[in-house]
Amino acid sequence: MVAENHPRGRVAERRITRAEAAQRFYKPSRLVRIVDHLKREWQIYVLLAPTIIWLILFLYKPMYGLQIAFKDYSLFRGIEGSPWVGFEHFYTLFQNDQFLRAIRNTVIISFYSLLFGFPVPIILALMFNEILNKRFKKTAQTIVYLPHFISSVIIAGIVITTFSPSAGIVNTFLEAIGGESIYFLTRPEWFRPIFVGTTIWQEAGFQSIVYLAAIAGVSPTLYESAVVDGASRFQMMWKITLPSILPTILIMLIIRIGNILEVSFEMIILLYQPATYETADVVNTFIYRQGIQGGQYDLAAAAGLFNAVVAFFLVITANTISKRYSRTSLW
Amino acid sequence: MSGVQLTEIVKRFGEVQVVHGVNLEVAEQEFVVLVGPSGCGKSTTLRMIAGLEEISDGEITIGDRVVNRIAPKDRDVAMVFQNYALYPHLNVADNIAFGLRIRREPRQRIAATVQEVAGILGLTEYLGRKPADLSGGQRQRVAMGRAIVRQPKVFLFDEPLSNLDAKLRTQMRAEIKRLHRRLGVTSIYVTHDQVEAMTLADRIVVMNEGLIEQIGTPMDLFLNPANTFVASFIGSPPMNQVPAVVRSADTGPVAEFGGQRLALAPLDDLQGADGREIVVGIRPEFVTVRTAEDAGDVAIELDLVETLGSEALVHATLNGDPFVIKTETGTDVARLNRINSFTIAPELLKLFDRETGQVLPGQERG
Repeated sequence: MVAENHPRGRVAERRITRAEAAQRFYKPSRLVRIVDHLKREWQIYVLLAPTIIWLILFLYKPMYGLQIAFKDYSLFRGIEGSPWVGFEHFYTLFQNDQFLRAIRNTVIISFYSLLFGFPVPIILALMFNEILNKRFKKTAQTIVYLPHFISSVIIAGIVITTFSPSAGIVNTFLEAIGGESIYFLTRPEWFRPIFVGTTIWQEAGFQSIVYLAAIAGVSPTLYESAVVDGASRFQMMWKITLPSILPTILIMLIIRIGNILEVSFEMIILLYQPATYETADVVNTFIYRQGIQGGQYDLAAAAGLFNAVVAFFLVITANTISKRYSRTSLW
Repeated sequence: MSGVQLTEIVKRFGEVQVVHGVNLEVAEQEFVVLVGPSGCGKSTTLRMIAGLEEISDGEITIGDRVVNRIAPKDRDVAMVFQNYALYPHLNVADNIAFGLRIRREPRQRIAATVQEVAGILGLTEYLGRKPADLSGGQRQRVAMGRAIVRQPKVFLFDEPLSNLDAKLRTQMRAEIKRLHRRLGVTSIYVTHDQVEAMTLADRIVVMNEGLIEQIGTPMDLFLNPANTFVASFIGSPPMNQVPAVVRSADTGPVAEFGGQRLALAPLDDLQGADGREIVVGIRPEFVTVRTAEDAGDVAIELDLVETLGSEALVHATLNGDPFVIKTETGTDVARLNRINSFTIAPELLKLFDRETGQVLPGQERG
């Protein structure tokens, strides 16, 4: 060994050992590092705190109550005191025609919403982007954003009035052109188009903001370069703008697929009536009727849990597919 | 004919005028570089040629067509942008083919042209990659490929090398030069880097505050700057400018500054011009440095010496103002630290009027 036989080798070895020891000495413990980090960056955590508190209070704490989906829950015995019943509520649910109908309606309404509602904000954003007159653009944007800021109750009121058989503008028009007055909101076959149309009208404008922001991030030189290459406005929209915002579109699609079972619950409650349950009753309204109105909290919890588990797998699947094929993903 | 002619070009943004009547004639196959500090109007001028900015006044001719009212795509120009302007969602081949696809060229021709251009630029093995997977130099090459495939009459370059590091810039500079020699397409190139201008240009156009200060070959601008602005912009390091007063001596006119005197060439303008305020321009390279042992004509105070290998930059002060000398390092490096003065032949000086900044007539060198 050189270090042992050679006097200088030994000196070098001693130095290395000393340096290592010094490093060991100065390497702070994990706890110290975390405390240091918190001392340095505490402002960031203060900003983060409200969101975390909100998540804990309204999303994580209620999860404790999820266990009633597997219990014969009674208000008087409380969550702890109620006896376990395993998957009994799930068996009950899947033997219940109303629940199966609610699942079918949820999927159909969501599918229509996705099919017709998802492209609308993208198209709106592309169209806004092409408006050159700033004043016209601002006015048009305000008009389409507006319904988002109106309470669902008022929106529903507007829809009910619009389609009212006696004074509604639609029926007035139908009668004027010689047609027959239709009581739309009592007809099951009309519920889905009216509902999907209403949610598009209410939310599409606001949702287009995300895409407008993405469009604003596209480098202007891409367009200039395309202009010199001879691209028309439509070609630029099709070949530059759209592909450039594709990652954003995919992210929104993943989120949307995750929420596919979360049909706008209050709007359905406001618009449906027993006559249209056949096409209008979705899982959430079913839960509401069973749980809150019918007092079957355990059954409703089971339905809600089922909903959440399906949504969870949908998000994971959509994200995995997107990650593999487009390098875009939520996580 | 594929030259470019600019006649009294003016650009106004609202009330603000940024280009004030530019006249320029670019011959066919010529490589002209527009150079100047930020905001001098060089990029705006280029964008007006491309058609990306409207021309407020004046006339631009490409070939024998006035293009003022012609859309960019019909001007037969191709432009290379500073940030490459590559489409991130398309691979290299599709990026290069973009302009041809837009023009609906036959598929087979597009494929053949892309292959050919990729071969010229050494991009063949990268054709399937996305821009994000390329280095800065490769991206710039793709951007050039996109311009080349169009086979335009005129290439326009808008600071194409600014985003590259120093080493790559030097390399790409040489590639652009080679490419121009090979393709022989009229090129107009905008940069703020005078080294790029000097190395690439057949002719350089120095711009400042929306006006052309001087047009000439690189060596012409280096040897015969028309004014103090060009003198301070061209050359690395730039020309030293020493404010002085003309005095008549028995030997002829001399420049007097801070109690020192420097012999001047007997220009017509200096006859009987005793007391005239001038600026003496001294190129850092034209100076012969001296030490205490063989003191020269003008004393300087040495500040620090930067040795760059065969050459050295001597930073000194003259009358309290910075004064830079570029000299050969030589074998005796220690001598550089003893420099205390310099000499320079009168014909190597450049004299400017202090008030107008214009060069005094009769000093042209070839």
